[in-house]
Amino acid sequence: MQKTRTALTPGLIIIVGFLTVCPVFMLILGSFSEGLGAFGSFTLSKYVKAYTDPAFADILANTVIFTIGSAAVATVLALFLAYLNTRTNIPFKFLFRIISLIPMMVPHILFAVSWVLLLNPSNGMINLFLRQVFGLGGAALSIYTLKGMILVEGLLDLPIAYLVIAPAMSAFDVSLEESSKVCGASNLHTLFRVTLPILRPAILAAMTLVIVRSLASFAVPSVIGMPGRIYVLATHIYRIVATGYATDYGLAAAVGMSALAASITLIFLYRHLTREGEKYVTISSRGYRPTAIDLKGARFPLFGIVALLSFVLIVLPVAVLFYTSLVPYSMVPSAKAFAMMSWKHWIAVLKDPISLLSLRNSLYLGVGGATLGMILSFFVAYVIVKIRSKASGFLESLSFLSFSFPGIVVGIGFMWFFVQTPLYATIWALLIGYIATYLPYGIRPLTSAFVQIHSNLEESSRVCGGGPLYTMRRIVIPLLIPGIVSGWILMATMFVRELSLSVVLSRPGTEVLAVQILRFAEDGLWGRLSALGILMIFISTTLVIIASRIGAKLTKVDK
Amino acid sequence: MEINIRRLSKNYYSEDKTIAALANVDLNIPANRIFTLLGPSGCGKTTLLRCIVGLEIPDAGEIAIGDEIVFSTEKGIYVPSEKRGLGMVFQTYAIWPHMNVFDNVAYPLQTRNEPKEEIRRKVKKTLHFVQLDGFENRPATKLSGGQQQRVALARALVAEPKVILFDEPLSNLDAKLREETRKELRSFLTKLKITAVYVTHDRIEALSLSDTVAVMKSGRIVEIGTPWEIYFDSDRRFVADFIGRANFVEGKVVTVEEPYTMIDSAIGAIACEKKSGASPGKAVTVCIRPEFIRVLKGDHTDGRNIFRGRVESLVFVGDAYEGEIRVGETLLIFRIEPTTAVREGEEIALRFDPRHCSILLN
Repeated sequence: MQKTRTALTPGLIIIVGFLTVCPVFMLILGSFSEGLGAFGSFTLSKYVKAYTDPAFADILANTVIFTIGSAAVATVLALFLAYLNTRTNIPFKFLFRIISLIPMMVPHILFAVSWVLLLNPSNGMINLFLRQVFGLGGAALSIYTLKGMILVEGLLDLPIAYLVIAPAMSAFDVSLEESSKVCGASNLHTLFRVTLPILRPAILAAMTLVIVRSLASFAVPSVIGMPGRIYVLATHIYRIVATGYATDYGLAAAVGMSALAASITLIFLYRHLTREGEKYVTISSRGYRPTAIDLKGARFPLFGIVALLSFVLIVLPVAVLFYTSLVPYSMVPSAKAFAMMSWKHWIAVLKDPISLLSLRNSLYLGVGGATLGMILSFFVAYVIVKIRSKASGFLESLSFLSFSFPGIVVGIGFMWFFVQTPLYATIWALLIGYIATYLPYGIRPLTSAFVQIHSNLEESSRVCGGGPLYTMRRIVIPLLIPGIVSGWILMATMFVRELSLSVVLSRPGTEVLAVQILRFAEDGLWGRLSALGILMIFISTTLVIIASRIGAKLTKVDK
Repeated sequence: MEINIRRLSKNYYSEDKTIAALANVDLNIPANRIFTLLGPSGCGKTTLLRCIVGLEIPDAGEIAIGDEIVFSTEKGIYVPSEKRGLGMVFQTYAIWPHMNVFDNVAYPLQTRNEPKEEIRRKVKKTLHFVQLDGFENRPATKLSGGQQQRVALARALVAEPKVILFDEPLSNLDAKLREETRKELRSFLTKLKITAVYVTHDRIEALSLSDTVAVMKSGRIVEIGTPWEIYFDSDRRFVADFIGRANFVEGKVVTVEEPYTMIDSAIGAIACEKKSGASPGKAVTVCIRPEFIRVLKGDHTDGRNIFRGRVESLVFVGDAYEGEIRVGETLLIFRIEPTTAVREGEEIALRFDPRHCSILLN
């Protein structure tokens, strides 16, 4: 046991180290190289070119406004929702749980596409409607603006901000507020003078996390930003490697370095902030539930806002996509539109060899990748939780480092690596890249599941005569099933919809769903895009249902 | 089966400090008896138990269970837990929540690949022994604390181990249930004629359950004896203090004459019947347990070990009065029958039996 344990930690450090450090290392080397073909020949020209580009200042400004704007939108909405849920008597609280879970349901690229379908200036449904009803000429509203990007990204990142803020809000010691009220302050005064200042660490942490996510975001900048010629770092990198005649991976790497540096800095800030946040929260008393603030007359109007948000986040994108997949061209829902509905786009997609290939590839990557990813996550989580040593602490930092990496930047780094290997342009390249980027999603639920297994449970199996492997099979793994299932679901759904890494690593023959959807968007084939998008949602949902069924079956105690 | 431990040591390191959890422990645990390791938290008792069972690897020394050496640094032997054939009951019970009672108890037999019929028979027999007949299909999480404890015991017993070990198994039960379970455990273990090693910090548990008690302090075994010897005849202050409430009076040996050793102390001359080997002139401490202080009626002035004092405090605790008496400058705690007519502030005479005054060497 001791021997296998001692071999386990360095072995995992090598694997995880390869997965997280390799793309970074190759990115750095690549940024100093002439080009993919001339790897290793040192040059500074890429940096000079990248940062003296006159357009770069605009791109940087766009990036800053986009990320901070999205963070503000997401955080304000999250605060609003968290406050209503934890502190007031708003009805139908189950909706809040659903809102915090939707990122699993609707892939970001499809969410962004649905907004384009509604609000694009030429034939967005809302614009068509305004034109027909009010006779407005041209486009009344355009999604292809920085504001549009911020709104959509903010809505997409709302769940993340909510998941950071809501626990802090409910762990908050209410007597602090009550003493303010006893002093004569109103509810609103208390909110701004006591509640929000105390929640500041959580609010800042949520903002930081959303900034990291929107910096890495590729779906919104590509689907909404690029048609409007609004470039941020991610799309700027994409433009360098994917469009035009002269792709330049050295230049992309040089630009990517700044995105990577910013992300790593922010993620350290985030970890610092959450540690600070815990300091605040642990002061609070536990268990005491205050009477909820009575919203009185505002109860249903406020609920209306929540319901509208849920509608916009969950129902609208799917409805818009499904509708678009059935009508021949963009039109406002009407009797005429319903009369013209057909399965034309669906049939076209199901006959399109590349779409079918991308369906198959994404399904393989989702199922196979999540399975391999969970096996690796299992051992990493085991070492992190059960073997408390300096090396395991190092492994933990290493495995969470990749959480901050923007997918497209990791993609560029891996590109530099895979070109030197036979893995280039194979599905294995995507598989390795996916696992490297999304490893924290598998490790997170497993570490929390491991923490809950008291070491006595394992020890008593050993004393009863069960060897290490027997104990693992009969005690540890069965107890981990819930963690394994939720980690697998997270990874599988992430992999099925993966876009930002895939746009770099996917080559002819290794197309995946999200990349194919992006191609359709670039070509304006909205009907086919919608049909394929609905299939993508269907696959994700099916995987989630199957995995939870299997999990429920395995955790049943009595036979 | 007998357990022999030779020069066992184990250190823990935390923040540049080395803490000796076990410091050269030599110990012989006799076969088929209930042996208790007693001590305050952090004294190394649990570490010692975990070394015996193989969950902790000592830094040095040797452990033999029966004739088999299961650990030795000299000979380079380490037999892992699963090959030692022991049974253990954990403080948390460690009942596996994903299994029902049958699977929990059957587990040790399943690891040995015994035939299914045999397993069913043995589990049934063991569950009957711990009075859990018919609980086979109950999910383990749907049991009360006392029932979980019995499942843990059944699991430890089912494979008929050579030795069974207990790591504070009663500390998670409430007071009343603890008392019942203690009695039950005593009767189970007496019936089985098995070597049992029991770790606890609860002196009542140790005294009432054990055939032999070993008191530990800072990684060392301070004293070994029967509960009676430990309680009445300890010659170490730490042990006398830890095992029960006691008055300690400092003094000097004046004469040693059969049957009494006379000691000159702050409260006067004390006669002690216990032998101590102390020679005249030696500084010693006299230990008097509060229940052996008697309050005397009337004007007793003659006789041995009779002192006068003032009742400083008196608390009614139900089955007794507990209080403090000031004799000269010394405060003595005492415990008397609740029917005794004594009041706070009263001047009384008190006496302690020379047979129950033990001399502790300083």
